[in-house]
Amino acid sequence: MALIELKNLTYHYPLTNSPALQDLDLEVQEGEFLAIVGANGAGKSTLCYTISGFIPHFFKGELAGSVSVAGIDPTKAGLGEFVQKVGLVFQNPFNQISGSKFTVYEEIAFGLENLGIDPAEMRERVDEIIRLTRIEDLKDRSPYALSGGQQQRVALASILVMRPQILVLDEPTSQLDPIGSQEVFQVIKDMALQGMTIIMAEHKVEWVAEFADRILALSAGQAIKLGTPREVLGSPELPEHGIGISRYTQVARKALQAGLWPEKRSMPVTLDECVQGFQEIIA
Amino acid sequence: MKLINSIKRDFNTMTLVMIPVAIAINVVIGQIVALLKLPVYLDSIGTVLVAAICGPWAGALTGTLSNIIWGLLVDPNALPWFPVALFIGFVAGWCAVAGLFRTWWKVIITGILVALAAATVSTPIQVYLYGGITASGSSFITAFLLQTGRDLITAVLSTNFLVEPIDKIATCLLAFAIIKGLSTRYLARFPRPENITM
Amino acid sequence: MPDRLSFFIPRESRVHSLNPLTKLALAFSLIILAFFGPGLFLPVALYFFVLVPLSLLGKVGKEFLQTSFRLLLPLFAFLFVMQSLFYPGGETVIFSFWIFSATSEGVVFAFRTATRILVMVSSFLLLLLTTHPSTLMNDLSRRGVPASLSYIITSTLQIIPQMQARAVTIQDAQRSRGLDTGGNLINRIRSLLPLVGPLVFSSLVDVEERAIAIEARAFTLPVKKTSLIDIPDSRGEAVLRWVMAALSLMTIGYRIWLSLN
Repeated sequence: MALIELKNLTYHYPLTNSPALQDLDLEVQEGEFLAIVGANGAGKSTLCYTISGFIPHFFKGELAGSVSVAGIDPTKAGLGEFVQKVGLVFQNPFNQISGSKFTVYEEIAFGLENLGIDPAEMRERVDEIIRLTRIEDLKDRSPYALSGGQQQRVALASILVMRPQILVLDEPTSQLDPIGSQEVFQVIKDMALQGMTIIMAEHKVEWVAEFADRILALSAGQAIKLGTPREVLGSPELPEHGIGISRYTQVARKALQAGLWPEKRSMPVTLDECVQGFQEIIA
Repeated sequence: MKLINSIKRDFNTMTLVMIPVAIAINVVIGQIVALLKLPVYLDSIGTVLVAAICGPWAGALTGTLSNIIWGLLVDPNALPWFPVALFIGFVAGWCAVAGLFRTWWKVIITGILVALAAATVSTPIQVYLYGGITASGSSFITAFLLQTGRDLITAVLSTNFLVEPIDKIATCLLAFAIIKGLSTRYLARFPRPENITM
Repeated sequence: MPDRLSFFIPRESRVHSLNPLTKLALAFSLIILAFFGPGLFLPVALYFFVLVPLSLLGKVGKEFLQTSFRLLLPLFAFLFVMQSLFYPGGETVIFSFWIFSATSEGVVFAFRTATRILVMVSSFLLLLLTTHPSTLMNDLSRRGVPASLSYIITSTLQIIPQMQARAVTIQDAQRSRGLDTGGNLINRIRSLLPLVGPLVFSSLVDVEERAIAIEARAFTLPVKKTSLIDIPDSRGEAVLRWVMAALSLMTIGYRIWLSLN
């Protein structure tokens, strides 16, 4: 059985008539990195909240179809069971600070205190995660006196320290500057390489093209494409749904029109594939 | 059991996160108003807001903590007045439960009831702790009433009844204006959205 | 208002290292003694022989005196003037001018009230100068105070400075757009809404995400929470707290006995 299984999922937020997600089917295996792309309002956040249990538990509304995440069925289990298995990090780094802790070190320990972890083990786990997320130099600072990128790494560390089975990321870099984004992407890449199951909504397609195993493209609450990065991002109908295509694909398309791209070669989605194509034509 | 359930009803995670924001609203607006030298306090807008959308117990807690935190951060003199803040939240909360927070003229009635509660509760504190005289301008009215031969409690109580309504009606109306600016979907996450909508 | 989180001054001292509950118990029992204890001069004695020495031991003597004077002087001045002139039971006239006359009963009442308030305010001040708010809340929640209460208080202490900073930003922005915050009353009332509106709505919008964030960190999970920070406490301090509790009860008992006779 897959780690995440959604069957025929349809969801309405309270007091709304049109569904935020409609007839969605999705299976994600353990260790897989799935990226979700789509325009604003396509349902990316809604899907993230569903996998992390906040739909239906926090947002209420109507959920139809079946959901199973790490063996949990939201109709039978509460939010508490979800948060022990699924970690959620979202866009705004500032709002993810608990607000009840005065240093980064204590902030990261907050989740473990709530799980009732023994203090000695707590310190070990916090130290370890601080090393992994490269925030040793921040640990005594106030979580509010940090840059957006630093705050987002603290938010990631605070979730990772709880050792979730699945990490759900809802556009974690959309409010960060380029340097902050890069630092956060680096941590996510490390986690992916360690074999963590990751679900990530993201509009920076160049990045997901390189690291995701599969991509799900959403439009108006429906799945329009699910497959490898090349299958999804190379597909010509994406722009119709307001989904940006990789700038490497854009370059290759222009090159193809000008007769500068090998005709048999498929459209590239990553920098490497793009370079290979040009090398072929030069040769 | 009924009491415990009534208290529990007011508190969900939204309430827990809302209360600190409401306290900050009380403190910061209170300071801005003092800075602008307006003839009102308006330092309980956050309390009334929580009371209306979360309930009387949450409102009472917000008022009490606002007072304690004002005491911790700004002026420890505020500490003994916490029962007044408590009752502002409590009374506003029950008014909202009774449907007195749905239209602006009903909100004015809430404001008057809140003012009566505040005036009544602050009187004994003022009399027993400060001998009826505090460092606020309205103490001159009290002093005047004393000179005209009223006894202390009557003088303090009448002063409070004169001063409180303007401030509390303005406070309740401002809280109402804020609530009208929030979406129904947002309000629905709080424990008592039915206080506001029909 | 200071732009820091609280009155706390981080120093190494015997008072700083006391358990927060001990300091809280001390504050409450001093206040009870000052209000219900015998004698006109007890509060002054408590101030000079208990509170001031403890503030010196806690290496916060200067801040202790400065802050208490700043907070209390205006109130005391007002209290003495008003009470000596208007105290209702005043008969013994010390001096009079025009239609006013100052009475010694009024002066005594003002003195009693002022010294009690002095003890009340400075007891809390001593606690706050030597105890970090998060240490106090951690210790209280370890002893059974609900975690949500402790969350609300510590979170408020962090939100207020941010909201103040936001208020200053909005104020500057509105002024640079020509909003007049001075002038007559109507003008000042009118200038209030453009200041307050953006401030309130922007902070309310954050509430939903912040609720999700603490849920994601298992805050409402019904298990017994543990604490990262270990707050030292000793047998001796526990005994001291019981002694203070007993003393407070005796004082209240004494007061009740007096009023019954």
